[in-house]
Amino acid sequence: MRFILLGLLIAACTNQPPPPTPTQATCPDPDPGTLTWDNFGQPFMTQFCTACHDSALPHAQRNGAPLYHDYNTLLGVLQIPDHIDQWAGDGPAADNTLMPPSRCPSTPGGSLDSNCPQPTTQQRMDLSVWLACEKNRPHMF
Amino acid sequence: MLARRDTGAALGVAVALGLVLVLAQAAGIARADHDMASMSENHGDSEVSLGLSVEAAEFDTMFYVGSYQGVAPTLGWMHGRFGTSATISLYHLTANGLVHYGAGDAALGGSATLLDGDAVHAGLALHVMLPTGSELDNLGMGHVMAMPSAWGSWHDASLHVAASAGYGRAMVGLGGHNHGPAPLVDPMNLQELTWSAAADLDLGHGVQLGGRTRGALPIGTGQIRVIGGGRVAWGTPRVSTGLELQVGLVGDPFTVRGVVDTALRF
Repeated sequence: MRFILLGLLIAACTNQPPPPTPTQATCPDPDPGTLTWDNFGQPFMTQFCTACHDSALPHAQRNGAPLYHDYNTLLGVLQIPDHIDQWAGDGPAADNTLMPPSRCPSTPGGSLDSNCPQPTTQQRMDLSVWLACEKNRPHMF
Repeated sequence: MLARRDTGAALGVAVALGLVLVLAQAAGIARADHDMASMSENHGDSEVSLGLSVEAAEFDTMFYVGSYQGVAPTLGWMHGRFGTSATISLYHLTANGLVHYGAGDAALGGSATLLDGDAVHAGLALHVMLPTGSELDNLGMGHVMAMPSAWGSWHDASLHVAASAGYGRAMVGLGGHNHGPAPLVDPMNLQELTWSAAADLDLGHGVQLGGRTRGALPIGTGQIRVIGGGRVAWGTPRVSTGLELQVGLVGDPFTVRGVVDTALRF
């Protein structure tokens, strides 16, 4: 019984952030086409993500970014759009701010020597809507 | 990479089969990786045990390449047929170039001996993992895991064989997304069947040599994992130290892991 109480106490003291959650953002019907890879997705990824999530970075320079989670190309983004939504998107069901983290490299692949720029709430909402639209658009990969 | 892993797996299976034929004394410390077959046996009055385990491993999974080092103090108590244990690991984890320090998931265990013969012993155990490790840092699962199991052992003058079979389940809804086995330091599926086997040979002068294997089969989505290892232990019934070298045979639990553990019983 004492061990159980100790365990419950430990669990209660654990301060875990909210888990990755689907935002349930949807693409307007019909797709207005206002958010695209060229005018939103690529600039967003370049500003907030590709210092670590770049397919050109070897594992030792990714600062913990998982392999195959690379957002320097639209193809890479479309491999795991739901994952991106659950970690960085904002929508009716969730406000996910797990990414970007607090510390970032000032140069791609560098050490964590600066504070990460953070997207605004509007940018996170646009991200989720863009992902919802983009994954249903035709692509010629 | 696939060719290297196939070769490694084949070599690992051969090593495991050989090691299972070589046998040793269990340390009696229920580790976080659920070696329920190594439950110690106590037939007298109360016994308290203090243990310390140090481990180092390298891993090369689908998403992460790196290594970790950990230290885990363990407190155990046995009284007659019943025993409990508690442990928590502290890790230094390097994954894809990022370093984390922190606690892993805490483990609480309990066991009851139901069959207590001269040579044969069997019982039930329950281990619970608590989410004290950071899920985002790959140090913990982020949820409670319950792992009931049944275990049995047999021994004669110099040989000791033990095995267990169990079930592990994350105490969360299983209908959502599944990130696969997690965390990096001690991967488990959200729901799985587990097993372990150990065999130990007493070489005399307080030295035992043995082999271990354990693994898990996912229920639903997940990944099979199989670990094999060899162990040498020495000491007395009161103080014992063991050195274990493990290899990940199937799945991606780790490529190689070394564990040194010491237990003091009084």
